[in-house]
Amino acid sequence: MKKILYALLSLLLFSACAETFNDASQEAALPSIYPDYLGVTIPVNIAPLCFSLTDEEALRIDAVVSDTHGHRLHCQGKESVDFSLDGWRKLLGQNCGDSLSITVSAKYADGWHTYRPFSIYVSPDSIDYGICYRLIEPGYEVWSKMGIYERNLSSFDEHPLIENTQFEGCVNCHSFNRGNPADMSLHIRGLHGATLLRHNGGPISAYNTRTDQTLGFCVYPYWHPSGRYIAYSTNATSQLFHSADSNRIEVFDTASDLQVYDIDKNELLLSSLVKQDSVYETFPVFSADGRSLFFCAARALPEGSHQLDSIYYDLCRIDFNPETGKFGSRIDTLVYASAQHKSVSFPRPSYDGQFLCYTLSDYGQFSIWHHEADLYLLDLTTGQSFPMAKANSEDTESFHNWSSNSRWLVFSSRRDDGLFTRPYFCHVDTRGVVTKAFMLPQRSPRRFYRERFLSFNVPEFVTAPVRFNSHKASRLINADTRTPFGVRKIEEVKP
Amino acid sequence: MSSVGSFKFLRPLCTLLFGVAVLLFFGLAYPHHLHFQEQNQLFLFDRNYAWEIVRLPGGVADLLGRFCTQFFLFAWVGALIIALLLSVVQLLTLRTVSWGRLYGLSFVPSFLLWLFLLDENALLGGVWAVLLTLLASWGFDRLPRGWMRRILLLFAIPVLYWIVGPICILFFLLQAPRPKRDAWYYGVFVLLAVMLVILSYYLPVPADRLWFGVHFHRYPTVIPILLWVAALSVFILTLVARTYHRWANASSRYVVSFLLVAISMGYLVWTSSNFKAEKVMQYDFMARHQQWNRILATINTQKPNNQIGVTVQNLALAKHGMLADRLFDYNQNGIAGLLPDVERDATSPLPTAEAFYQLGMIYVAQRTVFEAQEAILDFQKSARCYKRLAQTNLILGSYEVARKYLTALQKTLFYHDWAKETLPLLGDEEAIAKHPEYGHLRQSAYNEDFYFSDHVTPKMLEDLFFSNTENRLAFDYLRAYYLLTGDRESYTRLLLHTSIKP
Repeated sequence: MKKILYALLSLLLFSACAETFNDASQEAALPSIYPDYLGVTIPVNIAPLCFSLTDEEALRIDAVVSDTHGHRLHCQGKESVDFSLDGWRKLLGQNCGDSLSITVSAKYADGWHTYRPFSIYVSPDSIDYGICYRLIEPGYEVWSKMGIYERNLSSFDEHPLIENTQFEGCVNCHSFNRGNPADMSLHIRGLHGATLLRHNGGPISAYNTRTDQTLGFCVYPYWHPSGRYIAYSTNATSQLFHSADSNRIEVFDTASDLQVYDIDKNELLLSSLVKQDSVYETFPVFSADGRSLFFCAARALPEGSHQLDSIYYDLCRIDFNPETGKFGSRIDTLVYASAQHKSVSFPRPSYDGQFLCYTLSDYGQFSIWHHEADLYLLDLTTGQSFPMAKANSEDTESFHNWSSNSRWLVFSSRRDDGLFTRPYFCHVDTRGVVTKAFMLPQRSPRRFYRERFLSFNVPEFVTAPVRFNSHKASRLINADTRTPFGVRKIEEVKP
Repeated sequence: MSSVGSFKFLRPLCTLLFGVAVLLFFGLAYPHHLHFQEQNQLFLFDRNYAWEIVRLPGGVADLLGRFCTQFFLFAWVGALIIALLLSVVQLLTLRTVSWGRLYGLSFVPSFLLWLFLLDENALLGGVWAVLLTLLASWGFDRLPRGWMRRILLLFAIPVLYWIVGPICILFFLLQAPRPKRDAWYYGVFVLLAVMLVILSYYLPVPADRLWFGVHFHRYPTVIPILLWVAALSVFILTLVARTYHRWANASSRYVVSFLLVAISMGYLVWTSSNFKAEKVMQYDFMARHQQWNRILATINTQKPNNQIGVTVQNLALAKHGMLADRLFDYNQNGIAGLLPDVERDATSPLPTAEAFYQLGMIYVAQRTVFEAQEAILDFQKSARCYKRLAQTNLILGSYEVARKYLTALQKTLFYHDWAKETLPLLGDEEAIAKHPEYGHLRQSAYNEDFYFSDHVTPKMLEDLFFSNTENRLAFDYLRAYYLLTGDRESYTRLLLHTSIKP
């Protein structure tokens, strides 16, 4: 009954505001819309792709989404088209694995213009429930308000999991086990520094990850598929700023190591092979089967050197035995980027074990501040890498993550304005064919993205709502009681 | 004239005198504190902005405070607003009880609020919270007694709490002596406490801020004690007035109490004022508005002896081409007086950022301004910083980022026109090149990239000058740098390698 009432009300409002036009001049060109959704592939359960015309002179915009069976969804608006959620879901459901045609018309001072229709493909591969990200101003060293937020991908709902209005400090590096929010790791930095861990949906605990045998606090996390381990890097990180370069900031390590945290035993497992003084090891991630650890490694700079543009990270791999927690004795280089004077960052293997997506930039490991940074896909069966041309842009593509079914990739890109990162999605099929990326849908996208002075940082898929008790978490953070991490040194397995 | 008649006549006069005193104080003695307040916020005429504020307890008072603070860009307007608010608080306090000879005490809460506002981080929303609470109490007093009033009292708990925050406790205290203090009345307080406990589980703010105020002070961890004293003083003083009612009305010398309060509280206000900070803020204000002549006049009257003053003094000297020649006529702070290291606060980096900007070190200026804005403790943004960030991004060719800042500024009252005028410049290379400020700064910028951090090195100035040897300001700063460090060799070499006459 309620739905019918809403539908009637919407119809009434729509019919009252929508203009009809029969005399529109037909344009041969495709419409120029924001965000660019022309020819994209979308999951069947994505929120409506609302859009505006890039030309802000347009007085009204009208869009008709139609399929080959005669179904259609019509929307008209002043600034953008805002498709009804129910109508959109229904239409996508009816066209799973098929294309939809979108006809856009725009009203200018001289009347209506109708553009050549474009199509979007509805993939039968669904996308996860949502994504989590940090919202933060893309700044330098000082932070203002920030938080970790959850966004439902099937609607426009966004809500905070935790914000730094609840405690004094900064929050970063949220991580889930293959998108499962039951396993969660989250760092708090500043006065009340801690790492919050949730395991198997249990209570949140606060840890002190700094030990006397590691470089400092644990940094970049990645869950083992079993949920028993978390790989962390420890990084001595510094920042410098460019005086005349569009890459404003250089974030670099002066030392970094890897270790694996055994949740069951509350111990960091240390191996000298991934803890070498002459090598910067960072961004550890477990393979899909959990028996390898991929990571990035670069030859360390001499102490005091600021030749940052000579730090090149390769993609490496070492065996890991989840039964014993022991590392292998040999490090393999999978992508020898340093040979081409390039640098790998953020390796992320797909959960089906087929691919590994990474970011390639000119140097260093903090590719988010490198406008040249692009995404590459490594086929783990052939060892061949190739750029994800359809997903990449002229500007930065950086952090990324796979959906739990390994068919969708979310990544952060600065293509919109060169500074504020926005989440984009692309489809990757079993053959490694990558589709054109589309931006996270918003109800009034141009207004939304223009008015939001925040970057979407570290987008991570989640398979279900996170249900994070921020008040309990902030009480834990403010209480300053921390469980210290233990340490166990591991002998390498002899070949 | 009878005493009652003169009382009626003199009361508005006393209020007027008080208001004029407040106006003169903030307009003449404390104007730059008002400018400081204005530059630490960005008031937008925008639904989302307003919603983000009013969704928290005390949000309506906070929004009204922010709305008024935007007028502090013009100190006299700001002073008038404060004078009006404090006068209204006094008039509402006056109406809470019959003061008689203790009439002067009705000024005490307003004087306490005045004291509260001496702190540059005290927010006007706090004053609005007290004012709205008194207004609600005054309105409630006009309601007929009975069940309807009791039911309204019940509704007043959440509504008033949401409008003014925990200051609303004053409302319930003021209502205390009127009806009999029965279980119903005390139940209201229990209900308020229960509501706060429940809210603490749902609102994204620490529980203690729900009890003491979410946004009455810029420092989130500071409890605004003076504000609370001012608010509670209304209740305490009305109790005093009621207790000594008979005695208080026994004499007609009510003006004496006014004079006593005015003199003692006025003295307290004056001695509690931070005129040193006012002076520092004045230098920052003059640098912000590029009042180079006024700066010279000011430093010639009284040589600055603080970090910000010396930085601004040197910038003004350089803008007049006199930095190196008259460097030692004024106080210096070594090389830190030229371009100090960037600190992690919202105030001290801004004059330095102005110097960076004027020199043509645009990336450095951009970073410094951005960091200063991020350091604003209550997470507000700054119209001053937005404007400068729009300019730096425009000069650096980041037009879409500049557009974001300009679009936001278009939603302000006092920066709207500037933003509207600047928007057409985006992407118009020819117009930017011809622009007297942006074109010049583009030419002054670095050619070669290098890394910098918080500390300005001589090489940064050398690179800047040799990127464009017409950059007179860089030349003066470099000479001053060599003079301050006693580097005669570099100084002589510089003079030999340039066509600029010192």
